Amino acid sequence: FYVRASYKESKLEARLSLLQSAVDEYNKAKNEFAAKATEEEMKLLRFQRRLDEEKGEALLGLSLHDTLHALLSANYHKQAEQLYRDFRVPDKRYWWLKLTALAEKEDWEELEKF
Amino acid sequence: MSAHLSYGRVNLNILREAARKDLREFLDKCAGSKAIVWDEHLTGPFGLIAQYSLLKEHEVEKMFTLKGGRLPPADVKNIIFFVRPKLELMDIIADNVISEDKMHSPRDFHILFVPRRSMLCEQRLKEQGVLGSFINIDEYILDLIPYDGDLLSMESEGAFRECYLENDQTSLYHTAKGLMTLQALYGTIPQIFGKGECARHVANMMLRMKREFAGSQTQILPVFDSLLLLDRNVDLLTPLATQLTYEGLIDEVYGITNGYVKLPPEKFAAQKKQGEASKDLPTEPKKMQLNSAEELYAEIRDKNFNGVGAALSKKAKIISAAFEERHNAKTVGEIKQFVSQLPHMQAARSSLANHTSIAELIKDITTSEAFFDNLTVEQEFMTGVDTDKVNTYIEDCIAQKDPLIKILRLVSMQSVCNNGLKQKVFDYYRKEILQTYGYEHLLTLNNLEKTGLLKLQTSTRNNYPTIRKTLKLWMEDANEQNPNDISYVYSGYAPLSIRLAQVLARPGWRSIEEVLKMLPGPHFEERQQLPAGLHKKRQQGENRTTLVFFLGGVTYAEIAALRFLSQMEDGGTEYIVATTKLINGAGEAEIILFSQQ
Repeated sequence: FYVRASYKESKLEARLSLLQSAVDEYNKAKNEFAAKATEEEMKLLRFQRRLDEEKGEALLGLSLHDTLHALLSANYHKQAEQLYRDFRVPDKRYWWLKLTALAEKEDWEELEKF
Repeated sequence: MSAHLSYGRVNLNILREAARKDLREFLDKCAGSKAIVWDEHLTGPFGLIAQYSLLKEHEVEKMFTLKGGRLPPADVKNIIFFVRPKLELMDIIADNVISEDKMHSPRDFHILFVPRRSMLCEQRLKEQGVLGSFINIDEYILDLIPYDGDLLSMESEGAFRECYLENDQTSLYHTAKGLMTLQALYGTIPQIFGKGECARHVANMMLRMKREFAGSQTQILPVFDSLLLLDRNVDLLTPLATQLTYEGLIDEVYGITNGYVKLPPEKFAAQKKQGEASKDLPTEPKKMQLNSAEELYAEIRDKNFNGVGAALSKKAKIISAAFEERHNAKTVGEIKQFVSQLPHMQAARSSLANHTSIAELIKDITTSEAFFDNLTVEQEFMTGVDTDKVNTYIEDCIAQKDPLIKILRLVSMQSVCNNGLKQKVFDYYRKEILQTYGYEHLLTLNNLEKTGLLKLQTSTRNNYPTIRKTLKLWMEDANEQNPNDISYVYSGYAPLSIRLAQVLARPGWRSIEEVLKMLPGPHFEERQQLPAGLHKKRQQGENRTTLVFFLGGVTYAEIAALRFLSQMEDGGTEYIVATTKLINGAGEAEIILFSQQ
C-alpha cells in the first residue's frame, strides 16, 4: 500500500489527491503514524503553496525543517512562528534552527531580541 | 602482482588462475579484434582477476562503459558486452545494437553474463528483436573473487537488500554456486555450521547440488575443515558501530572499493615532486591499492587506530637505522649487500611515508569533537545506558541537520541494543526525521523496519543485555596497543558475529544454546560425506581451517578480529573470510536509503 506514496512525483493537485488516498490506505492498514505523517505533509504542501503565491518564495517540496530555515533567513518570522506552533516542532530544535539561520545571515539584532 | 594471494594458509591464487583461464577461453572464441563494453559494476571486480595487459594479449583494443545511445566509434570486428544479468541493462544493450546496425559495417556481437545467464534477460533481448544479432551468448562464472590472502568477496552490491528487504534469493543461489566452485577446487568441506534464515537456504542448496553431482566426486584432499555460514541480520549491531581499526577507519572515512582507496591529494603533493614524474595533477584524488602485498600495510591494517602511531614510529626507526648501516659498511662485499637491499628499503620508506600521511588525515578526524561525541553515544548504547529514552545527542544532531545516514545509524543502533524502541521514542524519532529531512523518508524508515534495523519494542523483555553478558560483547579493559581479545577492534565492543565463530571453535555452540535461540533464524550443523581415503590425518598441533561466510556483508573490523583469532597461539583455528560484499554501517544504511523506487 505504501507504494502509492511514491507516486507523488506528479503535479501538486494530483499529488495532494494521491497523498489523500495514501492516507486512506494507511488508515485501513491501521498504520496511524504513517497516516498522520502523510496528513501533515499535505498540510505543509498547502501552506507552502500559499506562501509561494503570496511572497514569491520557492518553498514547495522542502521539508518542514528547510521551510523554517528559508522563512527565517528571509525575515518571515511570523510565518515561521506559525509553522512552529502548527506542527509542534520541539523547542530545542526550533532554537537551534533560529540560531543557525540568523547567524548565517549575521542578523545579530534579531538574535539579540530572542 | 598476485603474490599476496598465495601466502596464506589456503592458496587462493588457484581460484584466481581458474577464473583467468575461463576468461581467456571465452576471449579466444571470438576471433579477431575486440571491444569490450562494460557494466560499470563489473570493472572493479574484474580488475582483480585480469589486468588490462591480459585482455590486450587477446586482441582487446577498446573498452567502454555501457550506456544508452550509440557506441563510441571503434574499428574492431567484435563487440562484447560484459554484464550482470539485469533487465534494465538488456534494454541499453538492445539500444546499442540497433543503432550500431543502422550505422555501417557488420559487427559480431557477443554477450557474457556474469555470473550466470538468465532466461529472462534473453527473453527481453528477443522482445527487442536483437537476440539474433548475437553470435555468442555465454556466462562467465565469477562468484567469489579473491581480495587478499585470506579474503574472498562476491562484491554483489545488492545482496543485503535483496535478502532482507526484497526477499529475493538470487544472490543466495550465487553464493551456493560459488561455494560449489570452491569445493571443486579445494575439496569437499566436511562440516557446515550456520545461523540464520539465509544460511539455512544456502546450506540446503549446497547439499542439493552435491546430490546432483553425486557421480563426479572430486578426489581432492579437503583444505577447509569447516564452513560457517552467518546471516548478517543475526548481528546487525556490528556494522552500525564505527570501526576503529586502521583499515576500518580508512573505509569509514574515504571508502575502500575493490581494494583501492581514493585520498585527498594535498598531503601527497610534496612527495610526488621528488618521486615519480608528475603525471597526474595533484588536484586529482590519489588512488592507492591496499592489500597485504604491502609489508607495512599488512602489519598495521588490523591494529586499533590508537596503536598505529606507535607501530609507524617504530618502523620509521628501523628503516632509518637500516639506512645508517651504510656508514658501517666497510668492505666491498658489505657495500654490495647494502646496495642490493636498497630497492626494498626505498619501497619500505615510501610506503611508510604514505601511511604516515593517511594516518595524519584520519587522526584529524578521530580527534575531532564530533567523532568523539558520536563514539561516546555508540558506546553508551552498546553498554546498555539509557537505551529506552530519547537520546539528547541524536536530538541535537537532527536539529543541526547532520547527514541523515549518521542519524539513521545511531537510531538503528539504539533500536538494536534495546530490542526495539518504545512506542513514544520510536514515534518521536520518526517525526523528527520526517520533519527535518523530508516526508519522502517515510519510505526509508519503512525499509529500515523491514530489515529489522529499526523496530518497535513488542515485548517488554530486552534480550540484548543477556546476549551481551553471555557472549562477553563488552570488555571494559580492551587493550588497544597489545590486544588480548577481539574487542580491541571496536575499542571495547567485541563483534557478535566473531564471538559466534570463536565460541563455535571452542567450546562449541552447545554451550550458548540459550543465546542462539534469542538471535533470529535457525542454527544448524550438517556433515558432508567424504569419499573414502580422503579423510585428513591431522598432525599433532596442526590448526584447523575454517571458512567463515558472511551473507549480506562483512566489515573490515570483523575481518581484523578473525585475523586476530587466527594468530592467537592457542586458538587452534585459522580463518578464511568470504562474503557477499565488504561493507560498513554507512554503506549499509545507504543501500536502504537509495533503494526506493
